[in-house]
Amino acid sequence: MSAPLLDARSVTMRFGGVVALRDVCVAQMAGETLGMIGPNGSGKTTFVNVITGHLAPTSGAVDFAGRPLLGRKPHRIADAGLTRTYQAVRVFRELTVRDNIATALVDAEAPLARAEVDEAIGWLALGGRLDAVAGGLTLYEQRRLELLMRLVQRPKLIMLDEPVGGLSSVEVRAMIGLLAELKSRCSVFVIEHTMKVIRELADRVVVLLAGEKIADGPPAEILTDQRVIEKYLGSADA
Amino acid sequence: MIDRILASRQSQLALFALLAFAVPLLLSGNRYFAFIAGITLVHVLWASGMNLLYGYTGLMPLMFAGIAGISSYLVVGLTSIGWSFWLAMPVGALAASLVGVVLGLPALRLKGFYFTLCSLVIQTVITLAFVYFVNLTNGDTGISQIPLPTLPGGASLHGLPYDLVLAALAVIGVFVLIRLVDSGFGRRLIAVREDDELAETLGIGVTRQKLTAFFVGSLYAGIGGAFYTPYVGFISPRSFDVLISLNVWLMVAFGGRGTIWGPVIGAVLLAPVPFLLQDYYMIKDVVYGLLIIGVIVLLPAGIVGGLVRRPKPDPEIVPATVGEGAR
Repeated sequence: MSAPLLDARSVTMRFGGVVALRDVCVAQMAGETLGMIGPNGSGKTTFVNVITGHLAPTSGAVDFAGRPLLGRKPHRIADAGLTRTYQAVRVFRELTVRDNIATALVDAEAPLARAEVDEAIGWLALGGRLDAVAGGLTLYEQRRLELLMRLVQRPKLIMLDEPVGGLSSVEVRAMIGLLAELKSRCSVFVIEHTMKVIRELADRVVVLLAGEKIADGPPAEILTDQRVIEKYLGSADA
Repeated sequence: MIDRILASRQSQLALFALLAFAVPLLLSGNRYFAFIAGITLVHVLWASGMNLLYGYTGLMPLMFAGIAGISSYLVVGLTSIGWSFWLAMPVGALAASLVGVVLGLPALRLKGFYFTLCSLVIQTVITLAFVYFVNLTNGDTGISQIPLPTLPGGASLHGLPYDLVLAALAVIGVFVLIRLVDSGFGRRLIAVREDDELAETLGIGVTRQKLTAFFVGSLYAGIGGAFYTPYVGFISPRSFDVLISLNVWLMVAFGGRGTIWGPVIGAVLLAPVPFLLQDYYMIKDVVYGLLIIGVIVLLPAGIVGGLVRRPKPDPEIVPATVGEGAR
């Protein structure tokens, strides 16, 4: 068995007296789709912030593709092939879609070739919007642009922070379809509150509660786990 | 047809070069007007440097004049101990650039308004230093009778040839800015301006881009300062105080930040104003104040930015709703 692509060991993050993450261990194999669920404030986004270098953890170790990540700046982590999206969609709103894509390409370590970029644009159905200002796109288009800007960098792992947040049910359906196809392009880590996403996409699910990992296993098992239902699913709208 | 030709940056630059060289030639009969043209050309250079920082990188450096002053005082000091202007100028400008990089360090932590406030404090400290180190700067009295640069053969650079050198500097300055902005460097700076955290996530080394922008922007300030000094023949701490920084900023904002030609137009329109209002010096600052307010209220994107207004993002689609969906 090979080493995991992402290996976070005993990650602890304290903000003053508040413990946002306590001894969290998460490993993800290449090609595996890992879901992360948990109530608001349970530390999911903090976990992504730590992994992608936006926050320095109080203690712990993170390896990616066999090399330590901690202490590296976010742009170096991006160079290593680990990228992320944001819970609130984040594109360069004042720039055109074309310029957004070009900006994603400018410092990419292993950018897609031109034809591959065109193929990705077609896949995400943004070909007709290249000259539109990104801030004027619909939320679903912005979510797709966000994905596209990561894909053109040929990432090994993409961490999605609530990729269907704010989308209509039809769009959620379509986005799940896209994410299912995304799995063939790179490894996917996904935070979601929408259980449908987790159920249909994730090979394995990690549950965070108040900064601690309380469960880790296949979705079918986790989503019927009594503790998880009590602590999270029972109280949530899902 | 003419529209088509004017649409390309090369022809715009050629037109600007033509005007920059023609105006001093046409005004050479009247030294006073030619002098105003020369000062305006220095301001074109300064506004282009400020534009790189404010327009493209999104940082408003109110210590810009102070950085120009550091180069200026250095050049005066070095020439007074016998250095040639042509050696002192690059040394002074380069020193100003390095100081600019150091003074830009707060920008790595501070954004927007907070960096501007910080730069205001830095500018104040520089001005105080110019006043305080009397044996280097002659304090508030200033330094007068600054010698003109000498040319090979012993003649001094003055009059029309000096104007034309300033024209060449302005043209080169704009040309270099075009090249920088159209390169990957320009793209990175715009990414930093728009959202530096997202830029970082996309693999852009934000720290390095900001410091490089400060180096280049300060180089514009320094070269301008070095050539301004013998041209005017007199400098004092007031030549490089915060009002000068604000003037240059106003040229960029008034003309159109983040466009090549906006700040050039801003400099051409605003740099002559103090001279034209010389008889009304009492109201000069009032005019500037009104202009600043007018620009902010009426022309937030500047003259050029207002003309080629890009479609506004639809306010209906605000990603603020994203978080709610999750809750």
